[in-house]
Amino acid sequence: MKSSLSGRKNLWFLLKQLGRMAILLFLVSLAAFFLVTVSPIDPLKVNVGQAALGSMSQEQIAKLSEYWGTDLPPIERFLSWAGDFLKGDMGTSLLYRQPVSHVIGVKLSNSLWLMAVSWLVSGAAGFALGTLAGANRGKAVDKVISAYALMTASTPAFWLGLVLLMVFAVWLKLLPIGLSVPIGMEAAEVTLRDRVVHGILPCLTLSISGMSGILLHTRGKMIQVMESDYVLFARARGESKSQIVFRHGIRNVLLPALTLQFASVSEIFGGSVLVEQVFSYPGLGQAAVTAGLGGDVPLLLGITVISAAIVFTGNFTANLLYGAVDPRMRKGRKSA
Amino acid sequence: MIKQRWGLAAALVLSAMVMSGCGKTAGTQDGKQAQAVTKSVEADNAGKKDGVVVVMNVSSEPEAGFDPAYGWGAGEHVHEPLIQSTLTVTDKDLKIGYDLATDLAVSSDGLSWTVKIRDDVFFTDGGKLTGQDVAFTYNTLRDTSSVNDFTMLDRAEAIDDTTVIFHMKHPYSIWPYTMAVTGIVPEHAYGPDYGEHPIGSGRYILKQWDRGQQVILEANPDYYGEAPKMKKVTVLFMEEDGALAAVQSGQADIGYTAASYTDLTVPGYGLLDCKTVDNRGFNLPAIPSGSVSEEGVPLGNDFTSDVRVRRAINIGIDRDEMINNVLNGYGSPAYSVCDKMPWHEPSAKIEYDPEGAGALLDEAGWIMGSDGIRVKEGKRAELHFLYTAGDSVRQALAADTINQLKKLGIDGQMEGAGWDTAYDKAQTQPLIWGWGAHTPMELYNIYHTMEETGLASYSPYASQKVDQYMDEALAESDLEKSYELWKKAQWDGETGITQSGDIPWIWLVNIDHLYWVRDGLKVADQKLHPHGHGWTIVNNVDQWSWEP
Repeated sequence: MKSSLSGRKNLWFLLKQLGRMAILLFLVSLAAFFLVTVSPIDPLKVNVGQAALGSMSQEQIAKLSEYWGTDLPPIERFLSWAGDFLKGDMGTSLLYRQPVSHVIGVKLSNSLWLMAVSWLVSGAAGFALGTLAGANRGKAVDKVISAYALMTASTPAFWLGLVLLMVFAVWLKLLPIGLSVPIGMEAAEVTLRDRVVHGILPCLTLSISGMSGILLHTRGKMIQVMESDYVLFARARGESKSQIVFRHGIRNVLLPALTLQFASVSEIFGGSVLVEQVFSYPGLGQAAVTAGLGGDVPLLLGITVISAAIVFTGNFTANLLYGAVDPRMRKGRKSA
Repeated sequence: MIKQRWGLAAALVLSAMVMSGCGKTAGTQDGKQAQAVTKSVEADNAGKKDGVVVVMNVSSEPEAGFDPAYGWGAGEHVHEPLIQSTLTVTDKDLKIGYDLATDLAVSSDGLSWTVKIRDDVFFTDGGKLTGQDVAFTYNTLRDTSSVNDFTMLDRAEAIDDTTVIFHMKHPYSIWPYTMAVTGIVPEHAYGPDYGEHPIGSGRYILKQWDRGQQVILEANPDYYGEAPKMKKVTVLFMEEDGALAAVQSGQADIGYTAASYTDLTVPGYGLLDCKTVDNRGFNLPAIPSGSVSEEGVPLGNDFTSDVRVRRAINIGIDRDEMINNVLNGYGSPAYSVCDKMPWHEPSAKIEYDPEGAGALLDEAGWIMGSDGIRVKEGKRAELHFLYTAGDSVRQALAADTINQLKKLGIDGQMEGAGWDTAYDKAQTQPLIWGWGAHTPMELYNIYHTMEETGLASYSPYASQKVDQYMDEALAESDLEKSYELWKKAQWDGETGITQSGDIPWIWLVNIDHLYWVRDGLKVADQKLHPHGHGWTIVNNVDQWSWEP
């Protein structure tokens, strides 16, 4: 009896979350569409180019502006897009002249593992370093780690990317200058090792720049914990410092760190846009820039919805994990 | 807290400097090693090296693939489609030659073009290229909405395997220039995914396309023409910094660059300087202010509506000085939108003459005021120069123009604008433009009036005589004679758009296209490049070679 009740509660919780996601995606796509329509970019002039327009007849220009939909009312365009989207058709990219789902599929498979690895590395390393610094507050190791975190927090990702590129690719010639596969190599010959080697610099850039947030928060929280009464009590009981950190510290710090880490999915996403430009890495970020600057509305909306869904999933996962990490939260949810 | 932050910043800068210092010494050593390695490799397979890695800018990648129906070969940067053959080709002087075509004939009314084509051409899938394929290509391209302009084509008709007739809606003498960038696709193998898997009869086969990264082309072993010397061409798409990094790390053989990077020296690489028609110039509204267009855009400018003012500005600008100041010397003076093209009128060239310019302004009633700026009826001689924001070269050209005009007594300000507003603002003020196409249509669109408004489209100007010459040029059945008519539109002895005529546009410079080229790579002679860095550099990549 009791278990079926909690099952229904869980289902209700899930449905509520899915409903929120649907509303969120609708609002996000509406906002993105609104921004595109008020943006001063004229897709015709941007994509066709001034010099090309110059050698084209007025008749042809009229034909093209029809293709780019510059003469259709915005509401009409949005409704037709949204209608198709609900039927599972994301439309056809105006620039690539291919189905949006196909374009996004190709790009996402390129950048998803890049983002996933950077996200994991930055999370794990940030948490470990933050704990280390917080547990040793004021000591040399804390000072070094904090200085490093403050420095990377104020470093733009693309600049960091350029520096790494200069050092490791141009001067030391250790790593490739960019792209996700070796230059001039046929797809069949590309090995997993090649892909990994080409992912190192972008991953490193994203990890370093994504690490500082979680590091600084973990450090702050750790300091709080170390000053708390229960740690004082533990100390009085004669527990060693490492015991205290592992038994009391990490358990209490993990929760806010998880929230932060899952919320940082959006930051990794944003960072990847810039990093992909620097390393000529053909991911979703690059496609978003092309779509945005080129006024490719169906592609841009498609990418926006997909990214919003990924970020939402990140936050949603954090919600679920709370319960797993801290039983008190689970109880709270049930009684609510 | 603030002190701490500054300390951090200082530490950051210091560490960056230390890093760059160490890096540089390490880099040179490494460079030497790398050179030694390449040399030994080269010695091993001497004469065997037959591939090249080219870096282009990111916008050169054709988003919709290598499908002529969606603009491959045409558009902003016209070039040879490489994978497909074309009916005609343009030679080094932009005259027309034959590729697939063996004979061209146009009817006396200019309404039908009969083209004979070669009988010995096969697509790379083994199918024979026939007149049906040609007709199919042109009819398909006419019906798709892309940058290719086929509005003058009524229909293409294949008479037999080797004859095609193009029925035109109206005469279009420069049709051979359209044919030179239109790749022929096979009717039997054409479909929605053609752009990703193109089949053609050109010099190269598309081996692989890693979207957003690179394109690998391989020589077509069954090519009907001279076999390409370069067997493999790899094209990378990178931003300007990435392109430089690719060259500096020795991973590319040729990469585009800009004049601002030419102070660098890259060991093992030299600078290739390609001449272009990639011009920059500005418009001067030729009608007085006061009127508005149908869309409510204000038109005209009282200062520049006086032809003497426009003539004074044209001869009052020292183009050579501008090239040195702005382009580090990598450019040539521009006197028209089509310098050195077959339809270019040579008398457009003028000498720098500041005294003459001053005299013209005096004559127009603009008398030098006490502050060094001319005045007329209480109005100051002022121009408001627009440039497209984010384009440093155009910005610098605007600044240099303003400096030079100050000496003539014309005050200038400058303002960055986006393309969204620039087109409208240019109807009343000068804007720094960039043009340069391999077709006289550009001349037509800049100077010819539009039917609806009776004014030219980018800057208000109208001349019946100029319109008439250009209409006659398009209607002319003989291409050589049409060149003469295009020239007459520029200057016929009495009127035109050059210095002695109406001069509604001032042309400043043609910007050289610059490339880092690895020592030993012999890049074949280039045609005058059109506007923009792009695929034009590899127009004749089949003739490039490595020196032993």
